[in-house]
Amino acid sequence: MPARFARPAPETDEGGLWAIMDREERRLRRSPFALRDAKLRAYVQEIACKLAGEHCPDVRVHLVRAPLFNASMAPNGMMQVWTGLMLRVDNEAQLAAVLGHEIGHFLQRHTLERLRDAKARSAFGQFIGLFGVVGALAQVGALAGMFAFGQEHEREADTIGTTLMRNAGYDPNEAWKVWANLVLEIRARPGGESASPLFATHPPAAERQEALIALARDAAAGGATNEAAWGEHVAPYRHEWLTEEVKRGVPEESLALLTRLKERSPKVAAYAWARGEVYRLRAGEDDLDRALEDYRAALAAGGEPPEAHRGIGLVHRTRRQAAEAKASFARYLEAAPQAPDFAMIKSYLEELSL
Amino acid sequence: MRLLPIAPLLVLILALLAGCATVTKVETGEQAVGARLVVRLEGPWNRIDAPGMGPAQVWTMEGLPVDQLLVYPGIKNGELVHASTGGSAKTFAFRSSMQPHEIVAMFEGMMTRDGSQFKLARLEPASFGGGKGFRFEYSVTRRSDSALLSGVAYGVVSEGELYAMLYHAPRLTFFPRHRGRVEQMARSAQLRAADAAALKASSGGGKRDCMRNPVTGMWTGC
Repeated sequence: MPARFARPAPETDEGGLWAIMDREERRLRRSPFALRDAKLRAYVQEIACKLAGEHCPDVRVHLVRAPLFNASMAPNGMMQVWTGLMLRVDNEAQLAAVLGHEIGHFLQRHTLERLRDAKARSAFGQFIGLFGVVGALAQVGALAGMFAFGQEHEREADTIGTTLMRNAGYDPNEAWKVWANLVLEIRARPGGESASPLFATHPPAAERQEALIALARDAAAGGATNEAAWGEHVAPYRHEWLTEEVKRGVPEESLALLTRLKERSPKVAAYAWARGEVYRLRAGEDDLDRALEDYRAALAAGGEPPEAHRGIGLVHRTRRQAAEAKASFARYLEAAPQAPDFAMIKSYLEELSL
Repeated sequence: MRLLPIAPLLVLILALLAGCATVTKVETGEQAVGARLVVRLEGPWNRIDAPGMGPAQVWTMEGLPVDQLLVYPGIKNGELVHASTGGSAKTFAFRSSMQPHEIVAMFEGMMTRDGSQFKLARLEPASFGGGKGFRFEYSVTRRSDSALLSGVAYGVVSEGELYAMLYHAPRLTFFPRHRGRVEQMARSAQLRAADAAALKASSGGGKRDCMRNPVTGMWTGC
């Protein structure tokens, strides 16, 4: 691992880049998109520190409210971790795999090479956007962070990330699972992998997954996943992050994600509820039946969000099944008296009682 | 017309700079918007037209992107509520079978396509266009500039078509300044009977009704 980096001289291109990133970091601190939860931030910072070793004092984690898979690390040490990533990883080790990969880019100063390349291609603005507050990645979509650099740099970062995971005591076998899960979402898109320009210019998904499996095999066996600790820290945000996922408007991708999460954790009612919401809003053939099935699965799991009752009511109202709709709406109003749509649901109840 | 994302807004600003966009005054008094929707205005508005916009008419008091009023004058089943974005997978289309909750979710999806954040503050039944419609209040954190906006919207589904108005502006000054006139406009909205609107259009009498360019989605002649 290289020694800690000194701040570059301001007159150099690297010094200029740091100055720009410092400005972006100040913006990020003030941004309404920043997730200001000291406990969760400290927890993620601790994971980053375990990975970064002696570089820990240079890594500053910022949590960002954005429903896409992304983490990035700017050359000045600003690390962004998006809520869409935190929704998608199953445990601490999987998050460590992504953060370790980003730290790998940082340690190898890949960003500087990319800056010079971007300047040569007059793509400086686009480059800076990758690190800005909820930057240009939002326009590219999920997975962009995994493709921000060239093939060689990505492979190098994967190798370093796996080593950092191992050194920090995490199971390197979790790294390829993150990748496999993401590919599942991308393949669910209409058009599949071919619809993604990112896949067109980077190593095939299967190749990268195989490479990560090989890296894990080469590392010593074992290591922690810390799934329970991870679940405990993110549980308070699960409903909010799932709500953001539902409204992304990409039902095929969301269904792939939510099916995976639901199958992995059938006792978590929120996953079934969220998938039911996606089906109800898509409203394709048989989707309302599927939505009802998921809402009922949420109820059966227990601890369901009140919106599961509302969802059942809305499906029955669409089907003009008054008695069933009324019963579910009544349960929703009882469970969520402060809901913003209380008056609307109450009017449905009154209408169904006529 | 997409509401908030920066790309279409940029297109609109570029169109304005290039002289492709037009700004016309919408006069005080009764105004027809599309074939069936009629509103009474207590004061004038500015209407923006530019290539690539649609299907909503875009009105503003302060100028874009400060505040905007989107007026949907009859969106048909299957029609997008924002300008088409070519190959983008994220599209939001109206379905005649939608309930108010689903219509709000559709607009919410439209407004957050660029990573902006939307929060529903209230959804309630309300009369709109003389029909049994709905009203909602919301807030948006705009991604492009982190501005905090407040919004109010009305809608109704009539004859299988969606009629709606959505207004939002920065929450501290501009939204309170114009909210009253938006609420008044919504309360004044009436829908002509579909038959009467068709007859009026075919006879060519009275005010000219709007026509939409099938290529650009722009409304003209209102």
